[in-house]
Amino acid sequence: MPETPIAEALFAAAGDVLETMFFSPVVGEATPEAPPSEPALTARLSFSGGRSGSFAVRVSAGAADTITANFLGEEIDVPEPGQVRDVICELANMICGSVLSRLDREAHFDLQHPEVVETCGASPPGAVCRIFDLENGQVALCLQLDPAA
Amino acid sequence: MAYRVMIVDDSRSMRAFVRRVMDLSGFEVESCDYAANGAEALALLNQQPVDIILTDINMPEMNGEDFVRQLAQVDGLRSIPVVVISTDATENRIRRMLELGAKGYVVKPFSPEALRAELERVLELENA
Repeated sequence: MPETPIAEALFAAAGDVLETMFFSPVVGEATPEAPPSEPALTARLSFSGGRSGSFAVRVSAGAADTITANFLGEEIDVPEPGQVRDVICELANMICGSVLSRLDREAHFDLQHPEVVETCGASPPGAVCRIFDLENGQVALCLQLDPAA
Repeated sequence: MAYRVMIVDDSRSMRAFVRRVMDLSGFEVESCDYAANGAEALALLNQQPVDIILTDINMPEMNGEDFVRQLAQVDGLRSIPVVVISTDATENRIRRMLELGAKGYVVKPFSPEALRAELERVLELENA
């Protein structure tokens, strides 16, 4: 699958999910040469069905706290680490589902449960990655599709 | 009119979010029960029925498909309308859940207004 439709789906899904469900609108797309410099949290899941592959969301620490507080609607400055992990996994699940639905509305996909993973930030081979600026941080998305059978 | 609601989702955050969105939308909730999967929901429903159920699909132990299928086989519970909330917007999945017995389907991401509209549509259908 060409990179452009995937990149477009990543952009559309990120904007839609982050604004509608997490009240954290995307304010622009960052260049891959400028990765988040602050600590970040990564959630990853694999999927199968119409296509198989993996999807990862990497959220800078400041943005992760804001996204969590917005999602839970709690008047807290610093959410509990467990809450942040849970919400970032939910974010990964929602954006992945939204991306795959945009790429193929007819196919059926099974999404595994997202897990928070340790990562050095390197994207998997063949993955299409995009970084988006939020008001107080960044969200990086990487979609890796296995070769079509 | 206020309704007795059950939210079935393995994500505690998502359960809290759905509950909050119902409040934000103005949908009136008399009581709200929570379950982490279909099996837990069935056990709770046997003790205390509700007016409407909102369920995720992708859950451990008993997923949303099996939950809707089993609910339809239980006297006294099969009449409770079910609204599915899922990231899966594919036509096959939506059709399958409706065929199994779900009355409504909301795709994530959704606005408070969209959730309320679907809940009211389903409840009006049931009361027609």
